[in-house]
Amino acid sequence: MELLGQQLTAGIASGTIYACIALALVMIYQAIGHVNFAQGEMAMFSTFIAWQLMRWGLPYWAAFAGATVISFAGGVLIDRLMFRPIRTAAVLTQIVMFVGLLAVLNSAAGFIWDFTSKPFPPPFGADPLLGSRLVSTHQATMVVATFLLLVLLYVFFRNTRVGLAMQSATEDPVSARLVGIRVEWMIALGWGMAAAIGAIAGMLIAPVVFLEPNMMRGILLYGFAAAVLGGLSSPGGAVFGGFAVGIIENLAGTYIPVVGGELKLTIALFIIISVLVVRPTGLFGATHTPRV
Amino acid sequence: MTSLLDVRNLHAFYGKTAALHGITFQVDEGSVTALLGANGAGKTTTLRAISGMIKRSGEILLREGSLMKSQTEDIARLGVAHVPEGRGTFAKQTVENNLRLGAISRQDKAGVAGDMEMVYGLFPILKKRRTQQAGLLSGGEQQMLAVGRALMLRPKLLLLDEPSFGLAPLVVREMFGIFRRLNKEQGVSILLVEQNASIALDLADHAYLIETGRIVLAGTSADMRNNEQLRNSYLGY
Repeated sequence: MELLGQQLTAGIASGTIYACIALALVMIYQAIGHVNFAQGEMAMFSTFIAWQLMRWGLPYWAAFAGATVISFAGGVLIDRLMFRPIRTAAVLTQIVMFVGLLAVLNSAAGFIWDFTSKPFPPPFGADPLLGSRLVSTHQATMVVATFLLLVLLYVFFRNTRVGLAMQSATEDPVSARLVGIRVEWMIALGWGMAAAIGAIAGMLIAPVVFLEPNMMRGILLYGFAAAVLGGLSSPGGAVFGGFAVGIIENLAGTYIPVVGGELKLTIALFIIISVLVVRPTGLFGATHTPRV
Repeated sequence: MTSLLDVRNLHAFYGKTAALHGITFQVDEGSVTALLGANGAGKTTTLRAISGMIKRSGEILLREGSLMKSQTEDIARLGVAHVPEGRGTFAKQTVENNLRLGAISRQDKAGVAGDMEMVYGLFPILKKRRTQQAGLLSGGEQQMLAVGRALMLRPKLLLLDEPSFGLAPLVVREMFGIFRRLNKEQGVSILLVEQNASIALDLADHAYLIETGRIVLAGTSADMRNNEQLRNSYLGY
């Protein structure tokens, strides 16, 4: 029983990591209708920026805020410089661009900060939470931060004019323009927000996995599985998917002997494939029922 | 009468193919102008060109100045509300959010709330369906929503693309009654594109007949109605 409890908590802990990345993926998907394969590397790069700011002597929260703001601006820039010119190009062109961005960010980070692992501080320390043996303060921080992000996104999309404009710009860009929505800026804003969320995710993940250019490699795959499982159009689904993937991964690793520690990553791929086959829109994704 | 919209020698293109070959017409302030013609004549293209949705050349003057360099969203913000072919409502959003989106470029909160009540007054069924997804509305209700959303912009010029398309005759009559009221009571100028020449001429003050991207006939609605060529081809009597 204690083993199960431990595995569940561990699952929830890694689940928050996946949930954060999945949230950022959903954000971009909402803005441009594509999955951003470079999301993990963007988050990694943002985390390096925070690390650099701290190296230069800034306190943690100043570096945190600075990296988030810089990442937002960076996300907007990436959209304006790289993706705007190919907006009407074929899907494959866009995917090549994503992969290119991934490679560029990865090697740029390696070039600037080299490939050795660096420790990254957790915001509130990593001691056991209130003397509990199961949960550390940092795990609790991550869970709270993920839910805070989710609530903020929910309020943004539900209750603000910009959020409404952004949703409609994704659903029907032509009609959105006809009511006066500046669709291009909505897309840029989506990129900025995704980059900022990615930055926060990266800074929360880095204390767990250590900071280095390849830190997001496995995580992005899990984040992707989480987003697909929850439904790419649903922020709440993405968070649920993140926790589900984290828990499934840990339980399978412990209780299914064949899986063990070695095949854990395969679980993520298995989840992606089964969801896409059985329910392509994910658990909470909008199913579009065409009128007859 | 002064003209609100002045279109001169307008050409429009789909890719490299020209769809309009230099058309010239006006919409007078406070009037209803109809563009008539068969399928594929270039009526929808004309509206799209005015809204900057396709490549065009020539001159399009609104009172505020030329629209030739403006983007679609800026043209909308100048008060040109386009109800597109196929209605273009946001299917996943509620009816009320669709109306709110129509007023998204406006800052006057009180005015927007008042206009929403005005739209609900014109189309009581929309008020009843306020919290429903627009995609679940019937065709007629969607057309009402599309028109209502356009009104939320408080437009000076309303571009209507085939508003009768796919609607029951009774609904068509109701819609055109509302267009007349909007024009007479609120002074909204309307540029109407219709295949149904008879009902369009009932509403319009002026009309133009377009054939394969050119204007072949122009005049007041009465003139047009009496024109033999138009009567034979488009009114069928």
